[in-house]
Amino acid sequence: MKNKDFSYLYQNWDDTVRRRKVFLSNPVFIKGLALAPLTIAATTLDNGIILSIAVFLLLTPTRIITSLITRKMSVPFKTFFYPFVSAIIFAFVYYYMYRVMGSKVMVLGVYLPILVVDPIIVKNFEKTRKESVLYSIINGLRNTAGFIVACILISATREFLGLGTIYGIQIIKAPLLPMAQNSFGGFLIIALYCALWSNMVAKYKYKVEVEARHNERISKIDD
Amino acid sequence: MSELVRLMIKYFGLALVAIGSQNAIFTRGLGLSSGIRMLNDPRKNTFYFCGALTVFQILTIIIVHFSIPLMDMIGNGEYRRFIMPTGIVIACMISYLIVILSLSKFLTENKFKEILKSVTSASITSTIIGTVILTNSQGLTLGESIAFGFGSSIGYFLAMLLISEGNRKICHEKVPEPFRGLPITLIYISILALAIYGLTGHAIAL
Amino acid sequence: MIDTQRNNYDKYMMLATMPLIFCGVVLHGPRVLLICLNAMITARAVDVLVSMLQHTDLDTKDNSSVQSAIIFCLLMPVNIPFYAITVTVALVVLIGKYVFGGKGVYPFNLAALATCVACVNWPNKVYNAVVPFADVNLWTGETTSVVMSNAAIIKEGGVPGYSLANMLLGNYPGVMGADFILVIAAIGIFMIYKKLITWHAPVTFLLTTAVIAFIFPRIYGFSRVASVEMELLNGSVLYSALFMLNEPTTTPKTRRGKVAFGFLVASLGMLFRYRGNVEFGISFALLFVNAIEGYIDRVVNMDWVSDFGKNSIEYFKSLNNKTEKIEEKAIETSEAMELIGEVEDNIDDVIYSTRTFDVREILRLEEENNHKKGGRKNEK
Repeated sequence: MKNKDFSYLYQNWDDTVRRRKVFLSNPVFIKGLALAPLTIAATTLDNGIILSIAVFLLLTPTRIITSLITRKMSVPFKTFFYPFVSAIIFAFVYYYMYRVMGSKVMVLGVYLPILVVDPIIVKNFEKTRKESVLYSIINGLRNTAGFIVACILISATREFLGLGTIYGIQIIKAPLLPMAQNSFGGFLIIALYCALWSNMVAKYKYKVEVEARHNERISKIDD
Repeated sequence: MSELVRLMIKYFGLALVAIGSQNAIFTRGLGLSSGIRMLNDPRKNTFYFCGALTVFQILTIIIVHFSIPLMDMIGNGEYRRFIMPTGIVIACMISYLIVILSLSKFLTENKFKEILKSVTSASITSTIIGTVILTNSQGLTLGESIAFGFGSSIGYFLAMLLISEGNRKICHEKVPEPFRGLPITLIYISILALAIYGLTGHAIAL
Repeated sequence: MIDTQRNNYDKYMMLATMPLIFCGVVLHGPRVLLICLNAMITARAVDVLVSMLQHTDLDTKDNSSVQSAIIFCLLMPVNIPFYAITVTVALVVLIGKYVFGGKGVYPFNLAALATCVACVNWPNKVYNAVVPFADVNLWTGETTSVVMSNAAIIKEGGVPGYSLANMLLGNYPGVMGADFILVIAAIGIFMIYKKLITWHAPVTFLLTTAVIAFIFPRIYGFSRVASVEMELLNGSVLYSALFMLNEPTTTPKTRRGKVAFGFLVASLGMLFRYRGNVEFGISFALLFVNAIEGYIDRVVNMDWVSDFGKNSIEYFKSLNNKTEKIEEKAIETSEAMELIGEVEDNIDDVIYSTRTFDVREILRLEEENNHKKGGRKNEK
């Protein structure tokens, strides 16, 4: 990374955090969104992939449609408008996934439908500001990417520890921690990932700060 | 009379199951993100939130129960599971309107504004949607669904109390820095979920 | 003072388990010693690892990890694999102790937590009862003398067919060290006499268990007194009462609190044993009651008539003050709405990030800025 980049990053740290949704402000590990499906349903990599596809097909379209409508008119009951749009899109998404994947989709039970009101999809309804369509698309895709990374990591880890397999392929004979398949194991694994992630973010922030200060000193000497 | 007593005992048992072994947070993880955000938000009040959640839960269950024939009109019930979330969101909106209109009549303006934020946040959560879908998929009657929904909300409230007591108990300055905030709360919840497992002793059906 | 008490408790608890380890070795062979050593070394290794990671010196007086590891081991059957003990002890000491802050501040009893973790991870290894003096492989733990435990028999409504003398001496299929009733009772009396532990929690716990077993017997065709006898002498009840209900870190600090604590653990424990699907119901119940230990202390020591009323009024007043201050800021001008939008952005983005924000502080700073801007305009 160039010297100028570190200085820019440090000076615009809040914007940087807001933009880098995969690492710096991951919606799951840093903001704690979408915990219910990840804790209970994401027990295997297969389930994780199904959840990721559902969020990919649901999140960005919901944000685009809601931003299009709210820009044109003032919407009463924003609290319900966002989940309502999300629920309508979900009906089509769920039907399409059922046609393509079959009964695998039903394994997730109630944890696909609840995505409709999960804060990761409808977080924006509490805000007073409107957002542009382009911003909705970019932000939606960023949030989706952040969620998918988290979902794949958590589900793969839980399957490996709990069953000794990854995507059904046996890696070790005896599982290391069978409780990873239960809800308490899910909470624990997500918590450990959150701690690891926030530690990495803090270390990155420290590095950026040190480099930026170093650049500042050098530029003062040059002056 | 004995039939009524038998029904009451059955409903009471269902409510207890919903509070304990099928607890909304510790066993099913429903409403977890909203709950943790609510605990950390000074603008919201736990009592009002959970009280409102209970009322919305019961009202939504009743409205959805009577609107199932409408949902079944599309494709002879084949598409019920796909359009159920939309129906539940509409039911939540109707129940919100009922509650807000009632509260605005009976409460003073200041009190109404005070509780509005908490009530609005509680009107549509994954706890409500998850519980309604569960009761529907398990084929429970209206009375059984109301009992289960009531128990689910009470279980959510008790879980929130336990988690807030845990936040109070944990010595946050001694917790290692990477674990402060969300991670330590999740670890605390995981240990409580492990304790509840002593009652069920098996994994739940999703 | 509290540190010394804590250190004394750990030291004497470790010494108190020595007679039980000896009895275990006599009945089940030298594998008992190997398993306990495995647990102790794992616990100490985790202590060393954490002190290295935190760049601090190892606190040699802190024996809580080792003490909890031994107490947990003695609740396990002799044929439990070594890896199960190692993984459980390492996980519990790391997650149950150090993640919460380390010595003296962890909220859950470590031995109970370890028991629960082992029960859910390896139930077919944990819910075993090995016949005394059976041939058990020293390294693999393989044995052909595995039978149903007494707790499992009672849960089915049956009665274990062992004499009272054998049950008091621990001479029946069971776990490594938690079945020697006479030895445990003697250790308990000694520790209460030496004031290393108090009697409030264990006695209340045992009395409540006895009353529940008397009123709701599980065994059929026998007297209620026999039911009380079976419930108290099986399922590691006396062992749990003595070794788990007195830990200074995780139990209430007041006498009334300890009595309430004992009562709650017994009630929940019996509920878990009767209705749950696990044999070590008391460990699961103990975790639950540990969560409300502070609340128990506050509630039982409150002067209900004046404190409750005062506390409620003060609490609701503080709620009103908080919302009034926030309402003042939430006025209907566009500037105020922008301000709220910015504050909400900050809350949503950083509520769990590496930085922390205080809503009230942000509002106060913004108000100061606005006053300054207003002041400058007036000057012009």
